[in-house]
Amino acid sequence: MNTIGNRRYNLLVFLAFIIPASVAIVYAFYVPFIMNIYYAFTQWNGIQKVPTFNGIDNFREILREDDRFGAAALFTFRYGVFYIVLVNALSLFLAILLDQNLKTKNALRAAFYIPNILSLVIVGFIWKFMFMFGSDALGDLTKWRVFQLSWLGDRFLSFYSVLFVSIWQSVGFYTVIYIAGLQSIPNDILEAATIDGAGSAIRFLRVTLPMLMPSVTSCFFFSLISSVRVFDVIVSLTGAGPGRATASVTFDIYTEAFTNNRYGYATAKTLLLFVVVLIISIVQVRAFKNREVEV
Amino acid sequence: MRRRSAGLVLLEVLLVLFALVFLYPIILICINSLKPFSEIMTRLFSLPRKLALENYSTAWTVINYPRLFLNNLVITVVGVAGIIAVSAFAAYKLSRTKTKYSWTIFILCITPMIIPFQTTMITLLKLAKMMSLSDSVLGLAVQYWGFGAPFAIFIYHGFIKTIPRELDESAIVDGATPFVAFLRIIFPLLKSVTSTIIVLDIMWIWNDFLLPLIMVNGSKSTRTLSLAVYSFFGQYNTNWQFAIAALVLAVFPSILYFLLMQKYIVKGVTAGAVKG
Repeated sequence: MNTIGNRRYNLLVFLAFIIPASVAIVYAFYVPFIMNIYYAFTQWNGIQKVPTFNGIDNFREILREDDRFGAAALFTFRYGVFYIVLVNALSLFLAILLDQNLKTKNALRAAFYIPNILSLVIVGFIWKFMFMFGSDALGDLTKWRVFQLSWLGDRFLSFYSVLFVSIWQSVGFYTVIYIAGLQSIPNDILEAATIDGAGSAIRFLRVTLPMLMPSVTSCFFFSLISSVRVFDVIVSLTGAGPGRATASVTFDIYTEAFTNNRYGYATAKTLLLFVVVLIISIVQVRAFKNREVEV
Repeated sequence: MRRRSAGLVLLEVLLVLFALVFLYPIILICINSLKPFSEIMTRLFSLPRKLALENYSTAWTVINYPRLFLNNLVITVVGVAGIIAVSAFAAYKLSRTKTKYSWTIFILCITPMIIPFQTTMITLLKLAKMMSLSDSVLGLAVQYWGFGAPFAIFIYHGFIKTIPRELDESAIVDGATPFVAFLRIIFPLLKSVTSTIIVLDIMWIWNDFLLPLIMVNGSKSTRTLSLAVYSFFGQYNTNWQFAIAALVLAVFPSILYFLLMQKYIVKGVTAGAVKG
């Protein structure tokens, strides 16, 4: 009797501790997610009470007829590949430089981090201003062709503008993580490698980089997640233009739902996005798991 | 102490110059926010001839700055406080209870971390309308609890594992309720993790755009600063002098926050990333 009472008490305590968080998470994610699965198979304009069931019509249309979604998917994929590679390479390079014995290293680290504390929408507007007025003024001043190009108005160039601004905003974030990783590498291991005759290139590839793998894993993961989500900077910098040249998947989903009022159709797209993100995450975790070295 | 080589000095000079170029857009925006439009067009790189303070007074009143600043503050404070409260309790109990169910619940709690918000935003808006949480500043703040809790629970869970069980168990044996034992004994030991989560979540919620955009953009009085700047650019897209003054007003709190909390932010980012 006593143990049953005890068990019930423990269960009540357990529930009291976890229910507030569970309710919040179930509200924010699980209920909308389940609703998503339902609406993905319907035609729904967001207002009508009972959506019309239409089977797999939405998915068929997305995969067969929706050129905009295809273009957005291609944009997001290209953006993701460029962003992940470039932001990691640049921030690792910057981290190595800032890890040297510099007098101003704290101020420098802070300087490169500053754009990261600004909201991405605001960063987009700052650079819209730069591309509109700054590059014109620089073009008049220097007569260089780089500044006379239409960085936001050209279908080909606007991709690189979005990429550049995203990297400018976030490079400091990844640099901070890489610096912490570099500092956690014990000095004696590097010295031992030097004594064994390793040059600086070999030392970096064979010692520093493998020891840095936990940071690389984190940074790849973060950059992957943020490239799939890219939205804010596009809205403010290019408005997905010119035409829809810089529309990402998330932007396409947003306009499909909130501009075109095709809510059911848009939820089908979100479901596809979810499946893709899940697959990428699983692959990523598998791929990096056996590359890390234990110290 | 090794002597600093010439190469190192050169590197330092180059890096400082690069940092100035890197931050130049922000500096340029601040300078130009004080000029009339004609001067922005003709003398972009020079200092203002005459201070056009009316840029700021216009931006200040048009976006109703004090009101929106307060909105941001309420959303951030209520959001972050709630995330800390619900997550610390849940992570503690989930970490201390070693059963299959407890582990499953933990995994279910942290899974949403990797899922982009955009995958659920459409039906979330419908749900928020049904629960009367949309179009309200407090309603928006409360919704951040569920979005912030997965990461916070993940970080807390990992840290609580390293705290010896004997600490809270002996307090309970001495007659403290589990609630008091947690608050008095364990929670104070979580100070460093708590500050990491607070620092990261403040930056995230203060700057967030998409969730406020779908939840509170309907009325001028419920907007956040980012939303106000966004609609300001839409409305006044020819009056750049007002728009960039609004931009500087929106950026200012973030920069101030960074300068004051720099040490904690860097520590928080590192701690959060290494655990994540």
